[in-house]
Amino acid sequence: MRVRFVAGVLCGALATVAFTGCGIPERSEVQIDERREPATEAGSVSAWSKEPPSPSNSGTDSEAFVRDFLSAAAGEPDRAYDRVKQFVAPEFKSRMQDKRGSEVELTVVRLTDAPVITNNVDRSAAVTISVQQVGVLRADGRLVPPVSTETTYEFGLRSASPAGTADDGGGFYITDPPNLLLLSDTALRDYYEPQAVYFWNSDRTRLVPDQRYLPLTVPTERRLNEVVKWLVDGPSDWLSTGAVGLPDRTELINNATGGNGRWEVNLDMPGDDRTRADQFVTQLAWSLPDLDGKLELKVRNNSIVVADLAERRSRALYTLQEGPRRYCVYEGAVHPLEIAGEPGGTVPLDPGANRNVVSAGLARSGGKILAALVVTGSDGQRLSVGTGPDPVTAFKKGPVHTAIGRPVWLRAAGTEQPRGLVVAGGRLYRFDQNAQMTPIALNLPPAPVNAVAASLDGQRIAVVVGGLLYVAALNLAGGGVTVGPPRRVATSLTSISAVDWGDENRLIVAGSAGRPAIYEVSVDGAVQTPLKDDTGAKVTHLSTYPVNPTIPVPSGAFMYEANGVAYRGSPVEQIQRGEVGLVTPPPSGVRPGNPSAPFFLY
Amino acid sequence: MASSPLPPPDTATARTRGAARELWRAVAGRVARTAAGVHRTWRRSLQFRVVTITLVASSVLVGGFAYLIADKITSILLESAKTDVKLRLESGADYATKQVALYNQPQEAQLQETIEGTVNYLAGGDPQQTSGVVVVITAQDFPVIQSRTAPAVDGVQRLISPELREAVADGNVASQIATGRLTGERTKYLAYGSPVPTRFGQIELYYLVPLARQDATAADARATVVATGVALVVLLGLLAALVTRLVVNPVRVAARTAQRLSAGLLDQRMVVNGEDDLALLAASFNQMATNLQRQILRLEEMSRLQRRFTSDVSHELRTPLTTVRMAADLIFAERDGFDPAVARSAELLQAELDRFEELLTDLLEISRFDAGFAMLDAEPTDLVPIVHRVVERLTGLAERVGVPIEVDLPEHEVIAEVDPRRVERVLRNLVGNAVEHGEGRPVVIRLGADETAVAITVRDHGVGLKPGEEKLVFNRFWRADPSRARQTGGTGLGLSISLEDARLHGGWLEAWGAPGQGAQFRLTLPARAGDRLTTSPLRLVPEDARLPYGGPGDAAPLTIGPAPGGALAIGPAPAREPDAAGAEVPS
Repeated sequence: MRVRFVAGVLCGALATVAFTGCGIPERSEVQIDERREPATEAGSVSAWSKEPPSPSNSGTDSEAFVRDFLSAAAGEPDRAYDRVKQFVAPEFKSRMQDKRGSEVELTVVRLTDAPVITNNVDRSAAVTISVQQVGVLRADGRLVPPVSTETTYEFGLRSASPAGTADDGGGFYITDPPNLLLLSDTALRDYYEPQAVYFWNSDRTRLVPDQRYLPLTVPTERRLNEVVKWLVDGPSDWLSTGAVGLPDRTELINNATGGNGRWEVNLDMPGDDRTRADQFVTQLAWSLPDLDGKLELKVRNNSIVVADLAERRSRALYTLQEGPRRYCVYEGAVHPLEIAGEPGGTVPLDPGANRNVVSAGLARSGGKILAALVVTGSDGQRLSVGTGPDPVTAFKKGPVHTAIGRPVWLRAAGTEQPRGLVVAGGRLYRFDQNAQMTPIALNLPPAPVNAVAASLDGQRIAVVVGGLLYVAALNLAGGGVTVGPPRRVATSLTSISAVDWGDENRLIVAGSAGRPAIYEVSVDGAVQTPLKDDTGAKVTHLSTYPVNPTIPVPSGAFMYEANGVAYRGSPVEQIQRGEVGLVTPPPSGVRPGNPSAPFFLY
Repeated sequence: MASSPLPPPDTATARTRGAARELWRAVAGRVARTAAGVHRTWRRSLQFRVVTITLVASSVLVGGFAYLIADKITSILLESAKTDVKLRLESGADYATKQVALYNQPQEAQLQETIEGTVNYLAGGDPQQTSGVVVVITAQDFPVIQSRTAPAVDGVQRLISPELREAVADGNVASQIATGRLTGERTKYLAYGSPVPTRFGQIELYYLVPLARQDATAADARATVVATGVALVVLLGLLAALVTRLVVNPVRVAARTAQRLSAGLLDQRMVVNGEDDLALLAASFNQMATNLQRQILRLEEMSRLQRRFTSDVSHELRTPLTTVRMAADLIFAERDGFDPAVARSAELLQAELDRFEELLTDLLEISRFDAGFAMLDAEPTDLVPIVHRVVERLTGLAERVGVPIEVDLPEHEVIAEVDPRRVERVLRNLVGNAVEHGEGRPVVIRLGADETAVAITVRDHGVGLKPGEEKLVFNRFWRADPSRARQTGGTGLGLSISLEDARLHGGWLEAWGAPGQGAQFRLTLPARAGDRLTTSPLRLVPEDARLPYGGPGDAAPLTIGPAPGGALAIGPAPAREPDAAGAEVPS
């Protein structure tokens, strides 16, 4: 009986096993497939050396401490408040209201004087810094125009050592700090890298550079990610007249990643515009000139474009046929300059028209020469404009003005409807190939316009109005020229008299820094570098060949005229008479004139 | 309650236990009965056996295959799911690796966003279109990093067991099946985890993929396989039943026919259908039956003719014999007046006529047996008076030859359903033979009985029987020594008739004898007419009989040695010196 019972139980168990044993179990053992490679080692430590100084860096030097305090916010915005609060006395930390993520803004100021530190009796000090407001550095790397107009900031300073000890070795604390994050322009220069990113102009034919700042602490691998985010966010406000971003609601999906010559960007872009995507890759290629390899652009996980970045950059960014040629006005005519080591040139003008020239603006466009000459007549100065193949023979004369500045051509306008800008009688005009001059209204307080300069891309201008420097974007749609809202460029130069573009995002500015001087100023005014501290006299005429990746030349190709004498730089040398080419020796006894109004043809 | 002297629960328990035992007993009895029935059927029905064996064997086989197939299907489904998930996991881990590779420290604010974005991306982005896959990123080593789940569901932690966490945190790609409830009903999930290396350490990526589809498919497959298996087994059983029936039916018919044939219905034949093996069997069977029938009929005819001849001859001889008898009686009565030599002839004539008459009587009797006309007239009879009667009758003869007759009878009566006339005849025959061959030594008659049988042995101590003669003695007209003179003038048919009488009772008549030890005959009859005999109350071999080789005697040692022809011979050990024997047999 027992045997039968056991057999029955066994059969039941077997049947149960047979029917349930071959199903998917409720819970299984942990099955280990393989071992993954150990975690990659920590990233490059070199990036971390670019961290702004810590409070203990300055030791007992209170001024250095203040300067370090003004650098503390530099770096990645996430922890800017943390870094700054290390400087702040504990009891004042709560006064600074943290902002997070994209709301973090750094107020960039330029110290106009050394900080004034007044020691009090109780081992504390009052600090006053005099500043020029440069702008506000946003978390996305834009330096937007300043909102604050304050010229001084005051805060306290006390020893970090407990009260009663005479030792200052413990460093300092900032007391009563301003409720914002201050960043000095030097810190901006030291701990950030200016980065040009490119946006398409409104008709998507040209790339317009835009200036951003990337903290040096950002590792190389994240650069692509940051740049893509900038490009997705669109151009700076002042550029929006001339440049367009990606379609609205375009977003980057997670991070742009990659390495070892393989990069991947995944966008969420409305519409399925392959051309747009392709143009975006071109934007990216130029915005990250150091990045090589293949870039795969995905739109919502679908691979749209796979492109070699270096190959994208092999197409010229600017339509420049040949390198710059130097010219000047000599004896009322345009003459080439023959500088040793540089190719000389011929005058692309009909000799008949090349008379009574005061200044000239020449440009190459397609196979043509665009020539705008300021010629003097009995009744005043006129603009003489001619376009055509070299040499230009047909010229048309414009209306008479008392004084006309050097005309500049807008390269974005193209060959069909060439347009240029010129300052005449304190007003800004646009002119066309028929020398028709149309005044352009600037959205600025009324003041005489002193100078105008167009960038190499032709979408941006720098304009000096009332001795103040502005930049503005242009919209050339419909054959006209619309100037967007100008943006004031904060520079320490005053009484600015001349301006031209030094490279894509820098201006060469002539003005007064106590004495007449020529500075290189970034397009947002944050960075300025003296090129010539003392020009001796007011610079009346300034011309440059902008540094560009298409046809590079040694930097600092600029020429100016001050007090009737032409100089070239840099180093700055006077342009000798003997360097003027195609000159017929003057009859003896006649005092030869000086070369003047030098300019570049490119 | 407390005053209750006997706690009622005990009673209740006992009652319950008793009821349970009753129930168990009833069930066990039912089962035992069923088992017995099944066992009986098993023994009796070849078809049942074949079908049962087929069912069991095919069940085991099909069950095994079904298990294998179902298991295989399940494992294939699981494997493919695993492969899919692993591929996804690998690409996901690669993606996550790339995404987090931008960060050097776990505290970075964007890292958390990146992890969230990565999880959402890997989960398919759109929470409305979830396939049930849940993607989780955890950071075991960095509490500052919060776990992220996409789509955001609770209970993920329960599905990722500590062992899996440990394995993955250890740097392994590992998987586990877990069951839990994430979004609705309880589902089996395949949890697959992979470490994601970062610049600051390691975080972990998990995919939780529902196995509902695989589970359903596996269940479907299992059901299909089981249904197919059951159908197959049933089909095989039916097939086995059908085939067995095809084979067994003719066999049954053959058996029935054979039974009828053996019962004497010699004209029974099997039906021959077709030309197959079974038809051949039937044809052969029929052929055999026909041959048997013919042979039997022929033999019967011959036997009948022979018996008839014997009977007829006996009858035909009886009439002249009567006449001769009458003449001989006359001559015998007048012998005193004859010449002594003639008188002696008359006496011889008279004696031989007596023998002749006896012979004819015996012949008629045996022909009656042969013809099957012998009828048993059984009635409850006490055997003791029969024995006494026989002994009385033969006392004269015994005294004449000097053989004492010893009778060993039970004190009570021995009743058996027998035909007293036949039993008496058998006994007379046996005792007569014993006296005849007694050689002056006593003849012992013993009567024994038990519940089922009665037995009578007749023992003499004459010359005995040689080996093999125990069977021959019952042959008709057999003589141990043909040259030996007959003293009593037996016909040579006595033992044959006795044997037939014993058989007619359903009993046994057996002989034992050994040279020099005399012989013993045993008649065993069933106590009730018609019963079968299994044992006899008395021994056939007498207690004082010696073993063929003389026997071990008084517990003397035996020896086993070589015999001619490679056989072993067993015999008494030769006499030895006492001390030598003591040396060889220490005990």
